[in-house]
Amino acid sequence: MSAPAVELVTVNVDGREVQVPKGTGMIETALAAGVEIPVFCYEPRLGPPVGACRMCLCEVEGMPKLQAACTLTAQDGMELRSAQTSAKAAEGQNAVLEFILLNHPLDCPDCDKGGECPLQDLTFRWGPSNTRMHFPKRTFEKPIPISPTISLDRERCILCYRCTRFSEGVSEDLQLVAAHRGAQSIITTFEEEPYRAHFSGNVTELCPVGALLPSTYRFRARPWEIDNTPTVCGLCPVGCNTWATTREGKVQRILSRNHPEVDDGWLCDKGRFTFDHLRAEDRLREPLVRVRRRGFEAVGYDDAVREVARGLREAGGSVAIAFSGGETVEQASALARLVRQGLGGDAAILPDDLDPAVDAFRAPLSAIRDAEICLVLGDEPVMERAPIVDLWLRAARRAGAEVVTVGPAGSVSTPPGSAAATSAELAGGGGSDELRDAGRRLREASRVAIVWSGDDHDSGRRAATLAASLGLGDGSGLYVLPRSPNGRGVAQAWYEAGEGRGFDPSGEEELGALIVSGDEAAYDPRVAQLAERARFVFATSMFTGDHTLWAHVVAPGTSYLERDGTVVNLEGRAQRQRRVVDPPHLDELELLARVGTELGVPIAPWAAEATVDDHAELAPRAQLEAPPEFAPAASTNGAGPGLELVVYRPLFSGPGVERVESLAFQRPAPEIELAHADAQARGIATGDTVTVGLNGSGRALRAAVRRKLRPGVARIAAEHADGLGSHVEVTKA
Amino acid sequence: MPALHLAQDRYGWLPPEALREVAEALDLTPAYCYAVASFYDMYHLEPVGRYEIAVCTNVSCALAGAQDVLAAFERELGVQAGGTTEDGEFSLSSFECLGGCGWATVVAVNWRYREHVTAGDVPGIVAELRGGEGAGDDA
Ligand code: SF4
Ligand code: SF4
Ligand code: FES
Repeated sequence: MSAPAVELVTVNVDGREVQVPKGTGMIETALAAGVEIPVFCYEPRLGPPVGACRMCLCEVEGMPKLQAACTLTAQDGMELRSAQTSAKAAEGQNAVLEFILLNHPLDCPDCDKGGECPLQDLTFRWGPSNTRMHFPKRTFEKPIPISPTISLDRERCILCYRCTRFSEGVSEDLQLVAAHRGAQSIITTFEEEPYRAHFSGNVTELCPVGALLPSTYRFRARPWEIDNTPTVCGLCPVGCNTWATTREGKVQRILSRNHPEVDDGWLCDKGRFTFDHLRAEDRLREPLVRVRRRGFEAVGYDDAVREVARGLREAGGSVAIAFSGGETVEQASALARLVRQGLGGDAAILPDDLDPAVDAFRAPLSAIRDAEICLVLGDEPVMERAPIVDLWLRAARRAGAEVVTVGPAGSVSTPPGSAAATSAELAGGGGSDELRDAGRRLREASRVAIVWSGDDHDSGRRAATLAASLGLGDGSGLYVLPRSPNGRGVAQAWYEAGEGRGFDPSGEEELGALIVSGDEAAYDPRVAQLAERARFVFATSMFTGDHTLWAHVVAPGTSYLERDGTVVNLEGRAQRQRRVVDPPHLDELELLARVGTELGVPIAPWAAEATVDDHAELAPRAQLEAPPEFAPAASTNGAGPGLELVVYRPLFSGPGVERVESLAFQRPAPEIELAHADAQARGIATGDTVTVGLNGSGRALRAAVRRKLRPGVARIAAEHADGLGSHVEVTKA
Repeated sequence: MPALHLAQDRYGWLPPEALREVAEALDLTPAYCYAVASFYDMYHLEPVGRYEIAVCTNVSCALAGAQDVLAAFERELGVQAGGTTEDGEFSLSSFECLGGCGWATVVAVNWRYREHVTAGDVPGIVAELRGGEGAGDDA
């Protein structure tokens, strides 16, 4: 990367000289000089400064009036005096605070923000201790739930517009807005509809006062009674860095712990609010063993371990394992060694199996923002699979990058399931004019980001081949989105425990034993089929479910908030997950260690000691061995009557989310997305009820007409697609 | 903004459906359109009467007795500023600067200006509009 040479300028802040690159924001410049300028509205991650609150008033040499420092940038020879040395600035700041507090209810003892509130802190440090306000304060109904997860207290709002700037300029959902103007301005959603967007929770962290707060934290704790544990979210392959707040051994909220290369300080609502699944009513707390005719019986761990060891030993080497992809590397490695080294089994269902060739183009997620051109391939909506990647792509577009999406809903429209074929065309310079053009621009650009979001066969290898043929160099990055949070780490652990991949346990033969690791695997219909062919099934899971009907032994499983270990995110970054709270039962790893002892396989029950830093670094790129030639891609779009159905897995799904009541409103509506032309031909408009199915048997869903969707294609969330085939007919009900 | 005007011309005001339509057409959200519409007084988020009477109460007009003019309208129509008469004929509002400071007090009837209005002129204006002549419906 050739960075332009930076020009340094000298700025004087409160008598201290400091050199910073020209154009550095004044708040940062002052900080570099060791001077803190208080701010409310300023937040560089939200785009250009707006100068709304005037808290940062400073005196600038040569300017007659006080200036909002946050709107200035460092110029050579500038002299700035903050409230710490300038009486005029101090007076101004005082007045600003008095003004901000005019209508502020000062109900701090009642406010969840109290004790960690910038307004409270800054008033205490800089503000007037008195007010001349003798009129009644403005009052509002409060708090207003702007969604089941967020409460708004308009009395406390200081109109810094951080929340609305986030909604407009970061997540771009445009749902939280400021209505009316001047003193009448209020923060609101449309017609009291809930703020329903993947990233809504971030506004509760951005709000510098107690106006926007997580409803789930309401009256739960005070800052001096809580512990914040640094950990990593375990719900999708991004691996956002988080703080988990606990009080008396219970998780009360999740906050961001800004890793600038991974998440830039944002979390999605799944990561922020799913913690409540820890307290789900149907959590398993004891091992269960099936007893003939009597169903399940709760047993002690000694009995459970003996029973599991017996079942596995009697399998005679015919052992398969189904992973969830959320296990830590340590858990997966214990399981893999148990199966491959201890029992002589060699079969696994791996949720993800990425070719290591992708690591030759490894780059931090933040490199997407700096790209000149981004290419997004595949049928799975990026937002649903790895939401933060969607934010990075939006940031790239705002910074001027071209974002080319190729897929059934893309800017370049291709049939479903054709990412592999398209990538071959792009690499070979073929395909439609649009594709050829895009290929040319991708080759010309020096900073390229390729995001692959689909379940196409062999996507890792194909993506790497595409990246190699486009000549992706330093400064460019390839991001293949795994299906599961730690799918990469799990696959790695499996490979390391034996010889290569082993095999996929499909086929018709009987299985001696099947190990089902975790709830995601237990809910997988493929695994249920496998279980029918197994003489013995051992499952670990957090919750009760259908699998408890077919398993022989079920041991209670842990959540990602209850275990200690390593997880590998989509970039290939190894990060440390910490045990935030103790599970209400034995840790799975310890259970495995005990089973191991019984079977003579040594398994250390604990995670390798602190393997990774708090802000984990990305390992250097791997060497690319000669990328394999493209195998011709079979086109998967089989013809059929009616519309071709694209089924995607929504973010707000899975065993954890489904048990969190406050997230129910975020789950996908029973809706089918239709292309504009198809809808018109059928006389269907958004909101209509339609019948979806084939040969008269169908179900009623709501129609959503999408202009971007390819004609002939309909899209639906997996949980509403049960029983629908690859093609459906859609008629107005 | 022109789209909001078009919608307002069609509906007479901007009900939620209108905001939804505009949002859909422009690939925006209803919330965003609502934010824009609520910022400007010329968009109506509530139904308005056939005649919209806007009295400028900004500085220049205020000096020329705009408050009295407004009070006279309130008396004559029997509604407060911001309200609409029961028969749906008149909506009355006090307005920020209408840009006619040289001819204070300015009163706009369906966005046609009448200048140098005094409280004494008000009964006449209302009678004229009730009579069905005057400023037509063309906004
Ligand atoms: S709600 Fe909070 S973030 Fe939003 S404008 Fe008010 S004070 Fe700022
Ligand atoms: S984007 Fe993924 S890792 Fe980040 S908070 Fe959401 S679910 Fe967790
Ligand atoms: S921080 Fe500078 S105006 Fe708000």
